[in-house]
Amino acid sequence: MAMSYTPQVQGSGFKAQVQRIGGHLAGMVMPNIGAFIAWGLITALFIPTGWLPNEDFAKLVDPMIFSLLPILIGYTGGRIVHGQRGAVVGAVATVGMIVGAEIPMFLGAMIMGPAAAYLIKLFDKLVEDRIRPGFEMLVDNFSAGIVGGAMALFGVWGAGPVVGRLSDWAGSGVDWLIGQNLLPVASVLVEPAKVLFLNNAINHGVLSPLAVAQAQETGKSILFMIESNPGPGLGLLLAFFLFGPRSLRPSVPAAGIIHFLGGIHEIYFPYVLMKPRLILATIAGGAAGVGTFMVTGAGLVATPSPGSIFAYAAVTPRGGWFGMVLGVLVATVVSFVVASALLGFGKLNGEPKADEDAAAETDDPTSTGPATAEPTTGTRDRETSPAVARSATAEG
Amino acid sequence: MGSINGKDIHKVVVACDAGMGSSVMLASQLRKQLKKFSVTVEHTPVNSIPGDADVVITHNGLAARARAAAPDKVVVPFQVFLGDPAVTAVVKAIESGGEVSG
Repeated sequence: MAMSYTPQVQGSGFKAQVQRIGGHLAGMVMPNIGAFIAWGLITALFIPTGWLPNEDFAKLVDPMIFSLLPILIGYTGGRIVHGQRGAVVGAVATVGMIVGAEIPMFLGAMIMGPAAAYLIKLFDKLVEDRIRPGFEMLVDNFSAGIVGGAMALFGVWGAGPVVGRLSDWAGSGVDWLIGQNLLPVASVLVEPAKVLFLNNAINHGVLSPLAVAQAQETGKSILFMIESNPGPGLGLLLAFFLFGPRSLRPSVPAAGIIHFLGGIHEIYFPYVLMKPRLILATIAGGAAGVGTFMVTGAGLVATPSPGSIFAYAAVTPRGGWFGMVLGVLVATVVSFVVASALLGFGKLNGEPKADEDAAAETDDPTSTGPATAEPTTGTRDRETSPAVARSATAEG
Repeated sequence: MGSINGKDIHKVVVACDAGMGSSVMLASQLRKQLKKFSVTVEHTPVNSIPGDADVVITHNGLAARARAAAPDKVVVPFQVFLGDPAVTAVVKAIESGGEVSG
């Protein structure tokens, strides 16, 4: 398998591990994005500060965010662990977390849903082959009911308050970061993690749950905008279009449309992976965007997913357009300028095999002169270059 | 791991992290290209690749997970989402026979 060629078995094994755990977190949230959007649109439209304030419709907001969304997450989390039975038990148990805490219990649902499903999975394994014929349904139904009910009680009594406290702490930690103007620093972690396909894990697994709690309190949250800002990726793609390796340029406009309008950010990851130093561009763009959002007091009312400019527009609160548009724009421009500089404004790519130019790695990111070969940092380039990907196909 | 002849491919699975974004996009492109052949193209999360898949196509960054999730499948990693040679090779193999290895 992968053993035969990859120089970074450890690294990619660890990466896969982190991806897998993150994938589970995101996997509980993402199938339910439709419900998030319903909640987000209703919130953006009908709350007192919304576009079309309406008292009756606004009554939908609280049940959706406090009950529907966490239960869906707990249900889906349970389903991942143990199919339909796990889903049911996970949903029941999640209600305990909801009742036991006073905030939207996303974190609780992510823990309790799979945990309860795991319990019933263990039980099922235990009694497998031991049930007398004809009693299967009785045992199945009551075991699910009892385990789900017991976990719900446990949620109300113990786990709910504890996780509620944890969520509060996480929330205050974020508030502190915002208060200290440190939020843009998050981009230093978020942007590189993003292109390693941890984008969903970060956004839907970590940031969204915090953001939803914040939006529920204050009407909007900047945390929705940290990972999902389409600006940095767009700037990077624009730079590729003008200054990237010629062989890649034709594919860029379509990628840009899919990324910026369609919201599928994965489309730009390969461009970064081919030239890892360009991560500096998306970091700079991301940080500049978050900084702009922070200064202008921008925020979104719900999860913009996928991270398309249309999704952004749909969940921007009234009066929030200026900050939102400016932040996306600033992120795009900064990312574009840095990426263009890193690409040497096209001058680095005079040589024909420019798209696999491990040799074009330069010490000085602003250098516009001919490439100075750098001996050691080429490994990542090589690992991810298209040629190697093809040979991996042959060997793997 | 292993290889498969293009003629024996009946189900191609495109896998991405969530099975909702990039995989859907690539799957719909492939479906269009393979319309004339009796090949189904599905998109799934990389953690839940169905057992009847013949070939799994996934981004290089997720290939390790795909191989862990489906150790007995032919996993074809690709690099770019639009017009990647590895994906084109799979299509070619289905169209006119030939080995796909992964």
